[in-house]
Amino acid sequence: MPNPEFVTREPKPDPRGPTLTEDTQLSFLSDGSLVERSADGDAAAFGVLIHRYGPLMRAYAARILGHGDGEADDAVQEASLLAWQRIDTVEEPDRVRTWLFRIAANKALDRLRRRHPHLDLEALPEASEDRPVDEVVATRMQVDALAGVVQNLPDAQRAVWVLREIGGASYAEIAEQTGLSAASVRGLLARARRTVLEQMEGWR
Amino acid sequence: MNDDDVDDRFGAFTLDELSDYLDSGRDPVRDDIESDAAARAALVRLGELRAASSELLDADVRAADGADEGWIAGVLASIRTTAHAGRDIPVPDDDPSSTLVVTEGAIRGLVRALGDTLPGVLVRRTRFTGDLSVPGGPVDVEVAIVVDPAAPIRSRADELRTIVAAALAEHAPFEVRSLTVRVADLLAPGRNQ
Repeated sequence: MPNPEFVTREPKPDPRGPTLTEDTQLSFLSDGSLVERSADGDAAAFGVLIHRYGPLMRAYAARILGHGDGEADDAVQEASLLAWQRIDTVEEPDRVRTWLFRIAANKALDRLRRRHPHLDLEALPEASEDRPVDEVVATRMQVDALAGVVQNLPDAQRAVWVLREIGGASYAEIAEQTGLSAASVRGLLARARRTVLEQMEGWR
Repeated sequence: MNDDDVDDRFGAFTLDELSDYLDSGRDPVRDDIESDAAARAALVRLGELRAASSELLDADVRAADGADEGWIAGVLASIRTTAHAGRDIPVPDDDPSSTLVVTEGAIRGLVRALGDTLPGVLVRRTRFTGDLSVPGGPVDVEVAIVVDPAAPIRSRADELRTIVAAALAEHAPFEVRSLTVRVADLLAPGRNQ
């Protein structure tokens, strides 16, 4: 009989089932649990959170900025780093998506302000870059058409429209985030909405 | 306000009013709007646009097709160097000329690592309540965990209590006055990344 000490044994699987230490298992956690684990210092949990919402945060920042893809990348990276630093201040862990969107919007708005030292309320619509919107409308899916219309709004109108219609922010929140008066927010939003409605007229 | 140019009306109502009404989920019902054919038509239109708007980011993410991996990797690489250390907890020591501290974050990391080794258990949060600045002082510990609903929850919680109590007795620089294990959430396999 061989000495049992020298017999190589396969490790027995734990009869109670597999343990959950792998990062993939962390993805089974709710938003709230990931936030609390992150706040306790677990970078892997924060990684799952950023994989879950980072792409949307980046898309949101990019829609606010309208153009300049590198700017959206920079904005969302800064937003994510700030989110990690402040993750232990989240008051409603289950609503972290809203919190992350807000930080991403703030970082995008910082960049928009640098473009226009005073968010230029009276800016005329920029000339659409290469193709007329009508053509876009005629040839693309409705969502793509909407994307084109929104992209061509003046910066301040676009930012306010995206914060409201995509981010679901209230008028008061938009005023706070942009530093605009409530009346300006309403005015910009009304103009943006009218333009969107008119230019999407072909999509019935 | 000088926004006369946006005061277009759909029936008797402005776009602003109609959008707010749509945001309210058309509840409470406003008969004045609902009985106005032009306003109703505009509401249908706004509803379609709202649907397209909510699709916009998802469409952008699909179009980006993995282009996010780069910046995400950059962020995650830089946060590993900035852990949440929490408060410093002094370690009782007879030598007045030296100060030794253990961070809250380190003890939390220990509890997390231990809890995660139990099948069907992930640690959600560890809280220390008490005056951590007094070396060897009494502290209440609460460990919140997330449990696989298929696991025997009661026995997992008991096992966790046992191993955490043993580890804290050995490594924590404070006296554990109480140790509470709270099942705070359930695991949901299949949740998206």
